[in-house]
Amino acid sequence: MNFSDVKLSIYTYLGYKGIAADAQTDEEIGQCLGELEGVIRFSYTFKQLDVLPEFLSKQPYCDFLKGCKYIVLCATTLGVEVDRRIKYLSKIDMRKSLIFDACASAALECLADEYEGKFGEERTYRFCPGYGGSDIKDLQYIFTFLRPEKIGISLTDSGLMLPQKSMAGIIGIGKKMQKTCAECINFSACAYLKDGKKCYSSVKK
Amino acid sequence: MLQFGEKIIVLDGAMGTRLEELGLAERPEDANMTDAEAIKSIHREYSAADIILTNTFGLNKIKYKGKFGIREVALKAIENARAAGKAVFFDVGPTGAMLKPIGTLSFDEAYAAFAEIADITRDFVDGYFAETFSDLYEMKACVLALKEHADKPIFASMTFDASGRTLTGSTPEIVANTLAGLGVDALGVNCSLGPKEMYNVVKKLLDCSPVPVIVEPNRGLPVFNGGKTEYTLTVEEFDSYIGKYIDMGAAIVGGCCGTNPQFINKISKYSGRSVAKRNIEPKTIINSSTRLVEIDGVKICGERLNPTGKKKLKEAIVAGDFDYLVDEAVKQQEAGADLLDVNVGVPKIDEPAVMKNTVERVQEYVDLPLQIDSSNKDAIEAGVRYFNGVPLINSVNGEESVMARVFPIAKKYGAVVLGLTMDERGVPKTAVERFEIAKRIIKRAEEYGIPRHKIMIDTLVLTASAEQSLVKETVEALRLVKTLGVKTALGVSNVSFGLPNRGLLNKTFLTMAMTCGLNMPIMNPLDGEMTGAVKAFAVLSGEDENSEKYIDIYKDFTPMANSVAAVSKGEDKSVNNLFDCVKRGIKSQAAALCIEELKKSDPMIVVNDVLIKALDEVGKLYDSGKLFLPQLVASAEAAKTAFAEVTKILPQGESTKGEVILATVKGDVHDIGKNIVKVVLQSHGYSVIDLGKDVPPETIVQAYKKYKPLAIGLSALMTTTVSSMEETINKLRSAGCETSIFVGGAVLNGEIAKQIGADYYTKDALEFVKVLETLV
Repeated sequence: MNFSDVKLSIYTYLGYKGIAADAQTDEEIGQCLGELEGVIRFSYTFKQLDVLPEFLSKQPYCDFLKGCKYIVLCATTLGVEVDRRIKYLSKIDMRKSLIFDACASAALECLADEYEGKFGEERTYRFCPGYGGSDIKDLQYIFTFLRPEKIGISLTDSGLMLPQKSMAGIIGIGKKMQKTCAECINFSACAYLKDGKKCYSSVKK
Repeated sequence: MLQFGEKIIVLDGAMGTRLEELGLAERPEDANMTDAEAIKSIHREYSAADIILTNTFGLNKIKYKGKFGIREVALKAIENARAAGKAVFFDVGPTGAMLKPIGTLSFDEAYAAFAEIADITRDFVDGYFAETFSDLYEMKACVLALKEHADKPIFASMTFDASGRTLTGSTPEIVANTLAGLGVDALGVNCSLGPKEMYNVVKKLLDCSPVPVIVEPNRGLPVFNGGKTEYTLTVEEFDSYIGKYIDMGAAIVGGCCGTNPQFINKISKYSGRSVAKRNIEPKTIINSSTRLVEIDGVKICGERLNPTGKKKLKEAIVAGDFDYLVDEAVKQQEAGADLLDVNVGVPKIDEPAVMKNTVERVQEYVDLPLQIDSSNKDAIEAGVRYFNGVPLINSVNGEESVMARVFPIAKKYGAVVLGLTMDERGVPKTAVERFEIAKRIIKRAEEYGIPRHKIMIDTLVLTASAEQSLVKETVEALRLVKTLGVKTALGVSNVSFGLPNRGLLNKTFLTMAMTCGLNMPIMNPLDGEMTGAVKAFAVLSGEDENSEKYIDIYKDFTPMANSVAAVSKGEDKSVNNLFDCVKRGIKSQAAALCIEELKKSDPMIVVNDVLIKALDEVGKLYDSGKLFLPQLVASAEAAKTAFAEVTKILPQGESTKGEVILATVKGDVHDIGKNIVKVVLQSHGYSVIDLGKDVPPETIVQAYKKYKPLAIGLSALMTTTVSSMEETINKLRSAGCETSIFVGGAVLNGEIAKQIGADYYTKDALEFVKVLETLV
């Protein structure tokens, strides 16, 4: 992971709608990414399933997984120290805390994408419960299968994963599929779409 | 009876792996009831072990979701384990939920879950094996629950990852110091790693604590093969590592994930052999969950969280303004303190409760070890109990009654204790008399089972203005006390009380004291001259080898006269008026420029014509997409800093536009949005009562009743927590709240806000302020 890989998504998280940040913010992003490296403890756990578990035999998962050979359930996290650092920074420098938070989100996506390279080119993106009208509470099924507690992720009753920089989802293997706005949890309220833009289109490498 | 630490004890092997082979892994605890014979036969397969662990890893009321009662499963599991005819330890696993402050489970809730297990099982088992914990705080809750609800041996084993730390960031040294302090019978490492990968962790555990060490590795690292997990290490390889660990001093060995009866049969040959002797040098160590401080050389204890002579801090403690306390703590950490004193002794408060809250809030942000400072025994215990690590207790003295109150607490939690060389007669005049008291304190501590290295001595500073001749007695007493092999402390700044230019006297006295063996000045770390003297002393005493730390700090040092030029050189960070400072978000200069501005203009003119005007301009740029969130927040922070200067000179009552309560609702811990709203509100002159995250409706209702604020702002990020927001609003309304309720967060919009009974949905912090201004 380097600056250029994640820069655009960091801008996106900070609300720069496709516009490059000023030199000072860029410098701070660089600093934050440097500090982030010292506190990230990236872990990834997954399980390959040949038979579709029951919770996935409903929409929108059926459409998403149609034509896949098998699926992978996955969960990943940057670890608890990243959360702690964001908290600490919020007390000494709110602006930096905000930038650090955005850097961490971008780093998690980037590291997970890199890791998933091992599943081959013929794969879908990571579909996380909550996307495209799916129920965020479906996370509990992924947790039953994967037990991501062993890499330090826990799930609260309200469907929240902790540490905050964690993700869990489903990847279909055997077909290619990229993210679209329709699946997005924020589809109806997206500030980018309102401006006729897409948050991810500028992020592609 | 098994003798821990003298003869090698062999534990059994993996249960989960065997259950998976039998197809019983989906509900492992229920298998005790539904497939008792299968479970018994697994236990029998492990009968070569000295101790059999029950099949109860996930059996606690937070984690267990099976169909039976916890009591019946627990008792049946013990009965099953007895089938092997060996000693039975009850296996206790973590709750699977994350503890506060990162998670939502409280220490007391975790404690209650483990206490229930102890209550059910204590008469039927030979001991407890708490294993695979990755959070030291949860392990502390567990060990305390087992100790307080049962009287059986406790083995405590944590899991470490390849980085050599637990998932929550604790090193082996921190784990060992904390668990040894809590008085476990054995401590160690299991799961996650294979025997080879565990080497560094085991070595460190063996090197730093005399407590018997448990080594229970997985069968190597798993290999993913066709989506399945496989372990490939052979019995012989596993055995050779275990043999090596036994040679190094491990006392209790067994197998975790992937092992089977063959592995345990093989290593059972070590059972009953003598445990190798280890020589451990005792050290005076305190620690938080992620930071260990050995009291050696000179370590700075920050004194600013002590209300003596501090009016604002006193007010904050009385008002329950923990934000203020946390800010003080963070500032001291930033300034280089090694540990922080926490004293909340203000009359007419519930000191134990306030101590608990303060410790919890401070350790949420600051990772320094704490010194729990109180004369109230219950407040000391509250602080020590809820601190995530091993704290220092301040203090005991030579009075028997004081030692009788405090030493049992120190012993129970493994805390280090600071002893003051005074007694019922007061502070003795001479160094020799103080030395005698120190000896008495150490002797009494040892009678309570507190070793010498857990005692520090404060030889007490008197003021030079009143008792000039006694200053040298304090210093001489330090020298004497050091001969007892204990570390020393002094509250150095007392020396200058009543004299002019106190800083000069403090610094000079500090240097005298350090020369005579002072290890821990209790002082203001924000005083650069004082911390500078400590850094300089470390060079001159040889502690800072090759002056590395000193050079690192002072390499860019510019003498005072040139500092202005040095700051402005080549940087575009210098501004010459408050308006530009806020507009460009340069927080570091906001206070000074505001003070300048206040010399020229009336406070309200500064607020309205400078601060608010600058913020308005920033707001317009933000709305039109010419300026972005980081800049908006930076401007708000600068304005907030300036506001703090304005309020210092405004009469009380005029210093705020009104109070706003903010909270992230129950079930949600996302607080970055709420924090942005907070700083933007503060920058506009509102006082914010920040209730934090995961806040129950009842707490918000209580705060409403207490403050009767201008507005209440609620935040939720997830669809699942909007219902919690609705519940909060309902409870507020039932309590008669007619205050405007604002809601915000990614999944909300105007429509949902209306549905759940809120008055306003605001899309961002600026809009919140704009709407609020219309209400004032």
